[in-house]
Amino acid sequence: MSSASELTNPDPVHRLVVAEDAYLIREGIRNALERENDEVQVLEYCPDLDSLLRAVEEHRPNVVLTDIRMPPTNTDEGIQAATTLRESHPEIGVVVISQYVSPHYALKLFERGSAGRAYLLKERIGHRIQLLEAIREVAAGGSVVDPKVVDVLVEARMRAKNSLLSRLSVREREVLAGVATGASNAAIAESLFLTKRAVEKNINSLFAKLDLTDDKSTSRRVRAALLFIADSDLEAGSEP
Amino acid sequence: MSRFAGSRDVAFEQRELDLELRDAAFGAGVRKSEFAVIAVAVAGASAAATIVATGGVSSNPTMAATVLVANIGALALGGLIWRRGRPSSSFGQLLLAEGVLVFVSSLSGSPDSVLHLIGMLGAWAAALGASWLLLSFPGSRLGGTARIVMGLAVATFLIGELPLILLAPRVVGVSGMAGCATACPANPALAVDAPAAAEVFRHVQGLLQATWGAGLLFYLATSFAWASHARRRLLFPVFVTAAPFVAAFTINAVVFDLAGVPPTGTARAIFAGTRILFPLGFIAGLLFARAYAGEALAFMARKLVGRPPVAAVEQLIRRVLDDPHAGLVFWLPRSEQFVDRHGMRAVLDEASENRTWRAFGHGDAPVLAVVHDVALSEDPELVEAVGAASLLALESRRLEHDLLDSVDALRASQRRLVGAASAERRKIERDLHDGVQQKLVALRIQLELTRDLARESGLSGRLAGLAADFDDALDELRSAAHGIYPPLLAEEGLEAALREVARRSSVPLTVDLEGVGRLPEDRETAIYYCCLEALQNVAKHAGDDADAFLRLWRERNAVRFAISDNGVGFVPRSATNGAGLTNMADRIGAVGGTFSVRSTPGEGTTVLGGVAIGASDRIGDVVGV
Repeated sequence: MSSASELTNPDPVHRLVVAEDAYLIREGIRNALERENDEVQVLEYCPDLDSLLRAVEEHRPNVVLTDIRMPPTNTDEGIQAATTLRESHPEIGVVVISQYVSPHYALKLFERGSAGRAYLLKERIGHRIQLLEAIREVAAGGSVVDPKVVDVLVEARMRAKNSLLSRLSVREREVLAGVATGASNAAIAESLFLTKRAVEKNINSLFAKLDLTDDKSTSRRVRAALLFIADSDLEAGSEP
Repeated sequence: MSRFAGSRDVAFEQRELDLELRDAAFGAGVRKSEFAVIAVAVAGASAAATIVATGGVSSNPTMAATVLVANIGALALGGLIWRRGRPSSSFGQLLLAEGVLVFVSSLSGSPDSVLHLIGMLGAWAAALGASWLLLSFPGSRLGGTARIVMGLAVATFLIGELPLILLAPRVVGVSGMAGCATACPANPALAVDAPAAAEVFRHVQGLLQATWGAGLLFYLATSFAWASHARRRLLFPVFVTAAPFVAAFTINAVVFDLAGVPPTGTARAIFAGTRILFPLGFIAGLLFARAYAGEALAFMARKLVGRPPVAAVEQLIRRVLDDPHAGLVFWLPRSEQFVDRHGMRAVLDEASENRTWRAFGHGDAPVLAVVHDVALSEDPELVEAVGAASLLALESRRLEHDLLDSVDALRASQRRLVGAASAERRKIERDLHDGVQQKLVALRIQLELTRDLARESGLSGRLAGLAADFDDALDELRSAAHGIYPPLLAEEGLEAALREVARRSSVPLTVDLEGVGRLPEDRETAIYYCCLEALQNVAKHAGDDADAFLRLWRERNAVRFAISDNGVGFVPRSATNGAGLTNMADRIGAVGGTFSVRSTPGEGTTVLGGVAIGASDRIGDVVGV
């Protein structure tokens, strides 16, 4: 499991293949990952899906960082790559960077399993620490969802008065959002200025309220939490 | 095509002209020319009666005068009725001419020998004329068999009568039609008084007259037997009134001329009766035909109420005309030709023996033509009724067809407009996403990385503020780009895009989205924006406590959607919601779909719509025009 402690110990060097068709973003990634950094090594920059898959075969990276929308179809090649790699190289972590804040894509990325998958908005590239954290997380089999994606959903749900989310306390809601981003209990505790124990308590009570089964694996519970926030109020008959 | 450009067009115009004249005369009073005919007939009948009654030549002046008055009156009346009822036919003129001949025959009642001779010749002419009327009816010309019979009639006069005029001291009239009893004036044309020769010619005349009469009877019987139903309607009254007259005429020749038996008073009376009756058949024939045409028109009008397709109208025409090969052809003004209901060019061959056609339309412009048996030309009222009814029925279909055409065109252009607009939106979204947005993101990254570098200096704080502003700008741009055209809709279709809408909905929304698969882009866009608009309406108008329900499902060949809420509702047709509803209706209408809104104050609102999935969404069928 990743944690802040790992930041100080950049021991395992992550070997990356990066796929991004836009020059400016590619340069941003280069800047973010290669400058003053010996934790990450970029083996190749690819402009499209085919070259990405070829480069993976060639370099055998442990993490792939890919744009969601690339040639040939400019739709969701990044997710396609993640799906393909889930079959061919399940050990490779995939960070998908996107400009879409739609949870649809994050959920789609997690459809075949959320382990070793991250969905980040592109501007996170500038936040080197967040980017590195996501890389570390997927390399370790964890999951990350950009907090903004979760925020947008929680905001919409909260506007809807009868939402199941409104049955949670503010604290519980914050913890749930943290869980949905893929943060570990420790990370949640840190960001909310709580003890790890308090976080665990909150998680237990809110999972009970929401009738969700808590999963020790953060990668699985992130998907459950995200799905819950995204769709719990939507389906016909889900209202109590 | 020359047929249409040439003689046939002239005929067409002539018919149109006739039709207009008759239309103008319909219901109008007696015309001047008709007054003249009536006046002449009254004067002629009076004169004829006076001549016969006062001449002292006729054996039975009263009866002869009655026959003359009745005949002249009936022929004048028949002539007027035919001229008015069927102006295209010259049969009316023939009847009037016959009336004149009958008047001339009355001169045989004059004691003056020359007038008597003229009258006797007039009686012959009247007999020949009556024969012509029967043989040509209802036209004015003679066919093959009729010519033979008419030849017999003329031969009777030439071989039987002319020699007698030269050889007999007394003029011998056409048997039974005219004659003298006691004081017969001398024959002014006598050349040689040869009683023996005259006797031979008397027999020749009797024989020929009997043959003529028999031929006429045979002709009437066969033409009635072989006639179509339509023609029989016209022939029947003529046959009924003419047969006794012709029979009496024949018997007269056999019994009195050949056998030499003198006619009794009763025989004369019976013959006179048949003569009086005979011209009335012509009047009755036309009245019957007109009555039947009126009935046919009423029948067709009844049958055409449901606006049957062209094929059914044709069936109806065949039934009414009693012509199994009758049909309709339609005029194409642009290519200037007639086509049948299958769109095949129709060749209306004038040379064809037993088919002819008659065009119907407005003014100079034909719309359709009824193709029918030549025999039906003798029943123009019926053809006219059928054509007019077809014209009415198919005109309305054609109007409907034209209307559908323009609705289709309108819808197509609406679809093009909406399609162009949504293609444009999609392009803008792409441009934003791949251009501005991408650049901003890159700048944002650079900014963040610069901030890393500037951490030590005092710039860091300023840069952090700048980064926050940048994030706001990016968020706004992202949501604007998404609002312009959701990439999800293009990439994954309705279900995914609507679910996404629901996730971000500010109204508590329950969805039931069936996997409807991918639809043509224009339909997906129409449904998507319609649902979006409806949900926005719920957010804006349904009130704070409203819950919404969005349903998408597939039903046979259509995809349907429903957005309902339990909000405050509104009174339909109140103007407040107008623009939004019109937008929705326009979007769905552009792809040929259906759209409806139901709302009850206090009970919420339901928007229902459906869009066909099939390639064709054309409403209605194509008329064979």
